[in-house]
Amino acid sequence: MIRLENVEKVYRTSSIETLALNNINLNVKKGEFVSIMGPSGCGKSTLLNIMGLLDAPSKGYIEIDGSRVEKYTDKNLAHLRNQKLGFIFQSFHLINDLSVIDNVEIPLLYRNSSAKERKELAQEALEKVGLSNRMKHFPKQLSGGQKQRVAIARAIVGKPEIILADEPTGNLDSVMGNEILNILQKLNEGGATIVMVTHDDAMAKKTHRLIRLFDGTQVF
Amino acid sequence: MLSHLFKLIWNKKGAHSLLIIEIWASFMVLFGVLSLIVYNVRNYLQPVGFEYEHVWNLDLASNQDTLEVAAKLERALQRVKAYPEVESVSRMSSNTPFSANQMGNSVTYNKVEVGADFYSTDGELSKTLDLKMLKGRWYQESDRVSKFVPIVINKAMEDKLFLDEAAIGKVIKVDDKKSFKVVGVVDKFKSRGEFMSDEPAVFELLAKDDVWNANMLIKTKPGTDANFEAKLVKEIAVMLPGWGIEVSYLTESRKNRQNLTLVPVLIFLIVSGFLLTNVALGLFGILNLNISKRKNEIGLRRAMGATEGRVTTQFLGEIWVLASFSLLLGLIFALQFPMMNVFDLDSEVYIIAIFAAIVIIYLIVTLCAWFPSKQAARIHPALALHEE
Repeated sequence: MIRLENVEKVYRTSSIETLALNNINLNVKKGEFVSIMGPSGCGKSTLLNIMGLLDAPSKGYIEIDGSRVEKYTDKNLAHLRNQKLGFIFQSFHLINDLSVIDNVEIPLLYRNSSAKERKELAQEALEKVGLSNRMKHFPKQLSGGQKQRVAIARAIVGKPEIILADEPTGNLDSVMGNEILNILQKLNEGGATIVMVTHDDAMAKKTHRLIRLFDGTQVF
Repeated sequence: MLSHLFKLIWNKKGAHSLLIIEIWASFMVLFGVLSLIVYNVRNYLQPVGFEYEHVWNLDLASNQDTLEVAAKLERALQRVKAYPEVESVSRMSSNTPFSANQMGNSVTYNKVEVGADFYSTDGELSKTLDLKMLKGRWYQESDRVSKFVPIVINKAMEDKLFLDEAAIGKVIKVDDKKSFKVVGVVDKFKSRGEFMSDEPAVFELLAKDDVWNANMLIKTKPGTDANFEAKLVKEIAVMLPGWGIEVSYLTESRKNRQNLTLVPVLIFLIVSGFLLTNVALGLFGILNLNISKRKNEIGLRRAMGATEGRVTTQFLGEIWVLASFSLLLGLIFALQFPMMNVFDLDSEVYIIAIFAAIVIIYLIVTLCAWFPSKQAARIHPALALHEE
């Protein structure tokens, strides 16, 4: 589903060159639940960004669902992100000025879905994460766990095949964290391919496969 | 997407209220200035309705002389007429074309009352100013024997006073006292120049013994120069010792009159230009700040499938929605002007000004939002998502 071959990422400023990822070779199969672990600054988020087509590798190539993307235009990449990928972030990234349902509808805005269809799909996604009773609330009225559930609903509303989660439980207590992991596991059981960056060993152990990074290099 | 933009702006209406007021105030200023400009341009495009080239205004003042003033004026008129350089000459009240003087009165017919400019002249004015007769004729000396004082009105007066009726032969009351009979209708007569609107005008025949209206409009033959002016002034001064004599050219008076209108318009334009520039700079600054505060959101939208173009369109769309709120508010005020016929201006003037102001406001906000929106679109999504 996701294939990275000889991926290297170098960040350059006028005086410094930092190797963020070095020769990453990775193949995430359809329906897999993979976790990525490693110390801070080892390149986990960079790797996730590259998988999510938010950043381009300096070397190597990436393949999403059989398509190599290095020659894709901004429009093609945006389309691919919208159709195939769902993102969950540690700090939720909800828009405070929009209600829960309006936040969840955002990916559908870029599919030109009708208002009715957007509403139906958003309701369905919120039901899946157990927040159908909070649709009209605003993010500031929600707890951290509820916010992350809204973010998950937003990630799955367009029914993407791949979900990329960047420390989804990082800002939550262990109870909330387990709740979120349960939701992700259910989504995975429903067929979604999930790649999750985490610092939590216990969480990582519950996934199918663990990838460890150290100084930008895949250690095993 | 539009409903999404409306929600975004509506949910932040408190934070946007100052911006909305700023755009609203700009719209109101623009509406005012544009109404003035549209009014003047529309007037300017209408002909003045008379010929002013080669026409001089001989302004006589009897000063302390009270003896046989009427007879002296008549002699002076005949003398001027006799010059070979003169094509025609007409006596007229002091509100000569392009002068600052005005004489107004109200005219009543069939319970319809109309305010009009009044001009006292003799039978030669239509020839001297080449007035275009639409109906009837200009009054003559022989009309003095008729029961009513003969008058000529302009088309604007006919339309306002008589509505669908024909004016010729109708007897009207002026100031509810004197009765006048309409003998002719001329086209336009914009005595205060191009920027004057086509207002109702009434020309009445001067009384035979009139001593108050001592202006003479002299139409000279082409090529007549200042030598003749000097000769004229000298000879009239000999004829009318102790009188004040002043000659002015209508072409010069026209220029002075134009400046009187254009200078305030230019001042308004400069002031409103400064105001709008300030608003535009403020708007630009606010939008720049707004975008730097919303980097996470931009990154998120890119991650969710927004292209660079969609991000640009979103930020432009937001400012358009914001401007639309301000314009709706502005329209509530601006539409009162045509509806309540404020300043007695044609409602078309206000409608054109409203449309032009709307276009300019959208243009300004688009220009101000263009660069920040483009900047927003260029923000790298991965970096934007990790900025706190």
